[in-house]
Amino acid sequence: MKEGTLSRVQMVTVVALRVLIGWHFLYEGVSKLTADAWSAKGYLLQSRGPLAEVFRWMAADPERLATVDQLNMWGLTLIGLGLILGCFTRLASASGIVVILLFYLCNPPFVGYFYSIPAEGSYLIVNKNLVELAALAVILVTGSGRAAGLDRIIHGLLKKRDRPADS
Amino acid sequence: MAHDDEKDQDGGPGSGLGGKKLDRRDVLLGLSTVPALGLFGEAWRKQRQYDQAQKEAAAEDAPPPPADLEEINVALLGSGAQGQVLLDSMLRIPGLRFRAVCDIWTEYNQKRAVRILKKYKFDVNGYEDHREMLDKEKDLDAVVIATPDFWHAPHTVDCLEAGKHVYCEKEMSNTLEGAQRMVHAARETGKLLQIGHQRRSHPRYLHSYEKLLQEAQLLGRIVTVNGQWNRAVSPDLGWPERYTIPDARLKQYGFKSMPQFRNWRWYKGLGGGPIVDLGSHQIDIYNWFLGANPSHVIASGGLDYHDPATHEWYDTVMTVYEFETAKGPARAYYQTQTTNGSQGYYETFMGDQGTLVISESEAANSGSVYRDPNAPAWDEWVRRGYISAPKLQEQGQKDEDAVLDVRESVSPDEHRIPVVLRDPYHQPHLQNFFDAIRGTATLHCPPEVGYETAVTVLKVNEAIEAKERLSFRPEEFEV
Ligand SMILES: NC(=O)c1ccc[n+]([C@@H]2O[C@H](COP(=O)([O-])OP(=O)(O)OC[C@H]3O[C@@H](n4cnc5c(N)ncnc54)[C@H](O)[C@@H]3O)[C@@H](O)[C@H]2O)c1
Repeated sequence: MKEGTLSRVQMVTVVALRVLIGWHFLYEGVSKLTADAWSAKGYLLQSRGPLAEVFRWMAADPERLATVDQLNMWGLTLIGLGLILGCFTRLASASGIVVILLFYLCNPPFVGYFYSIPAEGSYLIVNKNLVELAALAVILVTGSGRAAGLDRIIHGLLKKRDRPADS
Repeated sequence: MAHDDEKDQDGGPGSGLGGKKLDRRDVLLGLSTVPALGLFGEAWRKQRQYDQAQKEAAAEDAPPPPADLEEINVALLGSGAQGQVLLDSMLRIPGLRFRAVCDIWTEYNQKRAVRILKKYKFDVNGYEDHREMLDKEKDLDAVVIATPDFWHAPHTVDCLEAGKHVYCEKEMSNTLEGAQRMVHAARETGKLLQIGHQRRSHPRYLHSYEKLLQEAQLLGRIVTVNGQWNRAVSPDLGWPERYTIPDARLKQYGFKSMPQFRNWRWYKGLGGGPIVDLGSHQIDIYNWFLGANPSHVIASGGLDYHDPATHEWYDTVMTVYEFETAKGPARAYYQTQTTNGSQGYYETFMGDQGTLVISESEAANSGSVYRDPNAPAWDEWVRRGYISAPKLQEQGQKDEDAVLDVRESVSPDEHRIPVVLRDPYHQPHLQNFFDAIRGTATLHCPPEVGYETAVTVLKVNEAIEAKERLSFRPEEFEV
């Protein structure tokens, strides 16, 4: 998609979407960071689907699990900050997509699968994870950080320095 | 990333052309979403306040500690999985001052416990050797022991002889000889010894025993009992490689290797396998609720599933005890297996007037009594709040086409036991121990009681080996 072709109202909408998703990530991150002892262990062990073995492997070894937990908590937090502030927006949204894809694949709502973790809705293949993932794809391709976000300032500063490289 | 961004768009709409210097508009738009972060911060602060208020409200339910509460100086001996659980409970009990942690896994379990206690502003010292701790920590009043079973006797005896009160985890000891030494040491020193069968202090078990069985006699005459602890297969316990204990130290404390140190409960001479580890909790309740020790036991068990290279004790045990109770004979079945966790753990007492199903868990089988149709009405006990009003058994579930036989008994009404434990499971039992030290309570599980349970439970392993029905002599339960 060629940027700069979005209308003002379209861009405002995308920025709002970005901030909302960022908020969600950030809270998921900080609430885990500040919990007494959060771990993805239970979630990983519950994994079903084609990649179940991979997720169980992540939880199998205490040290590996500790790393996965740290990556998860800090990843969510930093992605959240990036999205809200529009800072390294592309990196943040791309990483967000990867993270959500992992969540999705860990417990995918495929036909015939059911879970002992209670879900708050009814899903068939598409669940909220997948929708949030698609929304992040929109953020990724519209580069809204350049319109409203710290990327605009970062970009501006870089431009100043690398003027010859530009245009 | 900056480079990546370089290939990015030339700013959003209205941002002008690339190469333009930053202007006011760029800065404003650049910072335009920062307030959202402020909002987030504010919402988060509110949420934290709310959580905090909830916690404080929950804490207020407990009666405030009396102002003149005398502090008890406590040490934790063995800060593994269970030591940690006990510590979490003790941190909720007012009037304790932690002074020391002793654990041979200095670089891991000991460090963790010390760190937690320091966080709670306790000035604690860490020790590897319990005798060194007893030598140096002169002010200790009590030691809470959660080391592997084969260490219970030496640790308990040394602590008692050093003049400390002791809370020692179940199983009291892996040998009767060790358990006897513990009883003697408690008697000779006059110090308190509580054995960690925590159900003895659980309000739902106390309510069931005192109110439902003794006072209301809801079950009539108990003739059969059954119970189980089923546990799903779980991998052997591992450890972070960099915290491996040097061989010399393992040997010094009676362990052959790291895997054995971590999975001691499966090894002969160290633990007693699942029947002792899990079964002793519940078989202890059989003796208590039936008001008797068993007269005979038969048992079948084996290492049916797990790898014999790393497991010595039986992974599957089924056993039947025979009792002579004050009201007549009773038989009690118990099973434990570690290959399938279905139905978890519970105890069921069945009398000619009703059935009691109970467990320590708040999640499943937490506590119900079922009135047998021929029993006298229980309205009085419902009115007094001993049991809830009956919940009628579901009719709707039945298959329309299924044919019910007239000989089938009518299913009895279910009454819930209205007692919920909101504290961690071990807290009431620890509280009972500290209250007893202060002289305001008597121990719920003194060493003589722990000993009777040890005799009852350890005999199962013997019966499996002997492949025959073994009897208990009444004097076997005495020390
Ligand atoms: N009441 C309950 O519900 C319950 C539950 C679990 C365990 N337990 C009991 O608690 C005890 C400990 O079990 P766990 O699961 O915590 O085992 P664990 O292996 O996790 O912990 C044992 C700890 O004791 C330490 N240790 C071993 N030998 C020692 C010694 N000589 N001196 C000092 N420290 C030593 C080890 O380093 C380890 O940290 C056992 O007796 C077990 O039966 C009770």
